[in-house]
Amino acid sequence: MEKILSALRALGVEQYIITEKHTDSLQSFYVKKNMDLIRRADTTLRSVQVFRPFEKDGTEMLGDTEVTLRPGMSDGEIRAALERAWFAAQFVANPWYPLPGGVKQPPRRDRGGFAGRSLAESMKTMTAVLFAADTSRQVFLNSAEIFMRRAETRIVTSMGADVGWEQYDVWGEYVCQCPAPRDVETYHQFSYRDPETEALTGAAAHALEMTKARAMAQAAPRTGTYALVLDREQMRTLLGYYVDRSGSGMIYQKYSPFQLGDDVQGQDIAGDRLSIALTATEPYTGFGAPMADRPLLEDGVLRTIHGGARFAHYLGVEPTGRYRAVSVPAGDTPLAELTGSACLHVASFSDFQMDALSGHFGGEIRLGFLHENGAVTPVTGGSVNGSILDCQGRMTFSRERYRSADYDGPLAVRIEGVQVAGS
Amino acid sequence: MKVQQSAFIAQARPLLLKLRDALCGAFEYASILAEDTVGRSYRVSRHSVSVGEGDNMRGFVVKALDGGRYGEYSFTELTEDSIPGVVDAVRDLLAAPARPENLGANAYAPPAEDPAVFSGATDYEQDPADFSDGEILDRLAALRDSGLAMDGAVLDFIAQMTWQKYTKLFLSREKDMTQSVMYMDGAVAAAAAKGQEVKQAYLPCSGLGGMELMERMEANAAPCVRTVLDLLDSEPMIPGTYECICDPETTGMIVHEAFGHGVEMDMFVKDRAQAPQFVGKYVASPLVTMHDGAASAKQTATYFFDDEGTPAHDTIVIDKGVLRTGISDLQSALALGTEPTGNGRRESFARKAYTRMTNTWFEPGHDKLEDMIASVKYGMFLQCPSSGMEDPKNWGIQCMVNIAREIKDGQLTGRIFSPVVLTGYVPDLLKSITAMSDGAELSGSGFCGKGHKEWVKVSDGGPYIKATIRLG
Repeated sequence: MEKILSALRALGVEQYIITEKHTDSLQSFYVKKNMDLIRRADTTLRSVQVFRPFEKDGTEMLGDTEVTLRPGMSDGEIRAALERAWFAAQFVANPWYPLPGGVKQPPRRDRGGFAGRSLAESMKTMTAVLFAADTSRQVFLNSAEIFMRRAETRIVTSMGADVGWEQYDVWGEYVCQCPAPRDVETYHQFSYRDPETEALTGAAAHALEMTKARAMAQAAPRTGTYALVLDREQMRTLLGYYVDRSGSGMIYQKYSPFQLGDDVQGQDIAGDRLSIALTATEPYTGFGAPMADRPLLEDGVLRTIHGGARFAHYLGVEPTGRYRAVSVPAGDTPLAELTGSACLHVASFSDFQMDALSGHFGGEIRLGFLHENGAVTPVTGGSVNGSILDCQGRMTFSRERYRSADYDGPLAVRIEGVQVAGS
Repeated sequence: MKVQQSAFIAQARPLLLKLRDALCGAFEYASILAEDTVGRSYRVSRHSVSVGEGDNMRGFVVKALDGGRYGEYSFTELTEDSIPGVVDAVRDLLAAPARPENLGANAYAPPAEDPAVFSGATDYEQDPADFSDGEILDRLAALRDSGLAMDGAVLDFIAQMTWQKYTKLFLSREKDMTQSVMYMDGAVAAAAAKGQEVKQAYLPCSGLGGMELMERMEANAAPCVRTVLDLLDSEPMIPGTYECICDPETTGMIVHEAFGHGVEMDMFVKDRAQAPQFVGKYVASPLVTMHDGAASAKQTATYFFDDEGTPAHDTIVIDKGVLRTGISDLQSALALGTEPTGNGRRESFARKAYTRMTNTWFEPGHDKLEDMIASVKYGMFLQCPSSGMEDPKNWGIQCMVNIAREIKDGQLTGRIFSPVVLTGYVPDLLKSITAMSDGAELSGSGFCGKGHKEWVKVSDGGPYIKATIRLG
């Protein structure tokens, strides 16, 4: 750190952010019930963002460039890299904006359930609970990848910040296979910041059940317009539309028409009114300022424009830092009621996507349940192609909840009138 | 001119040779991959300018075999004093692999290695590092201004480019290989608003080499603006099965997503692919010959050896409609008793090597595009794919495509549908190909993930193809 500060001083750089991240991770790879490879990665990354005020055509500008100081760089290489960044910043002609201050705090230790345990101990625990659901010969875990990670981040800025924090997490993916009557698989991801052992076993058990259902699915649903039920990870993707569209960069650049106080869900609401809160998953912003949870939408009305310093200044709003996670209040309707009348419940897509620019969402159906005439039929194939702009007034949320690293909210939503291409 | 080798790798080499000797003395098999990547990325839009570095990385990964088990250790700091610590870290990992007692472990033999000493570099005409950031940003800003000036309906016009230069050194008991590669990719994108929707058109270009590719980007500005203006009049797709003409980018997405992932042989090891049951059988129209390989084309996934020290190949995956073979990394080849094909790739030194595609493409045919369009009674001309997802076990396909242009009685009508989800059963789609145009184009502006992670640079493409496809 002192080498970097000294080089910045020598260059006359007055405004900067230095970020240092040390990550130690243990990575396990399984094929069926056998470990295929064990890895450890012990890496340190340092980056420096330099800010350079200048004038162009009579307008005050603030250019910035970020440079990665790669491990093993000599003092001379560090100086040269920072010099190049400083030189480049004078060409980055963005109108001036003030840089937010930060705080000086002693490093924060992670106080969660992984803290104080070795990565190997936690890896054993989380692997065991994942495979605890794998008890059948008819449907089983085909393969799994588990990443146990401890990261230490430190941010030092010229605006007075000096903060650091420790964070543990576990994440990974697994594939379930059911060989009969049709040999099929399903793909799943998980991510937790605490040893949520019951949640992981439960998720894997649910995934195995869904795989069994996919093996029974024979045909795509008929082409037509359906009431669509989405659940679990698809919820975060779907609601990402509102998170993305309320970002200061999207709004300032007119990619999003959202404004504070706007009823962004629209006036014609036959379903549930939507409330979303932004959840801080790290204690500090990139500028070393404390991050807090914030209301994003309250009953469909936009309460926060979020994002970094530059576009926030241009829009005249407070810079908030960047958010990945959201929480959403549960609805009033039991899942059984959401699927109690005719609908297509898509439990798994190949890759469910939401395009925040256009509002379109969709993907190929890997497993769906067609509820009609009192019967439930597993279906596979075909695709969903909907627009949230057309159906955001007709969304009903489940009473049951679902939680992952980036989402805490209703387990499912029913959306009326969505186009499906099928048989 | 040849890309110059990283000075860091050259300086680290004596230490790495010592580390190799220490590892080879301690384990049945050991290899080291050292990586040094530098690059720069530039982006200019109506309201924003940025200069960054892309994924600049520098580090090492050791792979070792002991008692039949493979382990890997990735790290960023190496000194003379730290060499014993690296050996100990690998030994500790293999001795106590953090595995619950009720789970087992796969056993492997060491790879058979032929001695190899190699040093190679790709070519370029204009090194982007010789241009100042100001010069490059000025050129991109001029491109942005020309795009914005083309039509008042253009909300934004973005010009961006990235170049990357890497040196990799692979060492094992028998191998001492170094390569230096540079590629560039760029794109122009135009956005226009239609009510609350923002439509976007994106035209990429890419290749081995340097700044010489910028001229291709500049030529794309006008077509990009025309496309976004067309999209303002687009309609929601009418679901159905259509005769389709796919542009080379859409062909590339189909090649890559539909078939490429399904022949990655680490999927064979896991019993996650249908392809092994179809080797020697027709899986596509006899018009189709499909290649993959870092040596099969000069594009962004071209290299001389993979991240496990296997020389680059040009693998013919499908030969005139018949599935011949898959593509493989080293460890999968050991598990299957097959030969590796130079497809063992890592996202970076910090990640595992998997079987990954490189340059993946269909050979061209003999048809003329205009004849192919004229042959369509009612169908769609598909352009501008945005993303795709594989399903190797069940040979499903999902591709998101931005534009479907209506064809009626052999003529483009001007009617446009967007966005479009392309789905189907892969062999059905590939067997339905009835025409292929007489030229092939590859595009390498994107990255490929394994599932939802492990991003590596790939290229794909081929000719215009005519096929029957379900659209929604």
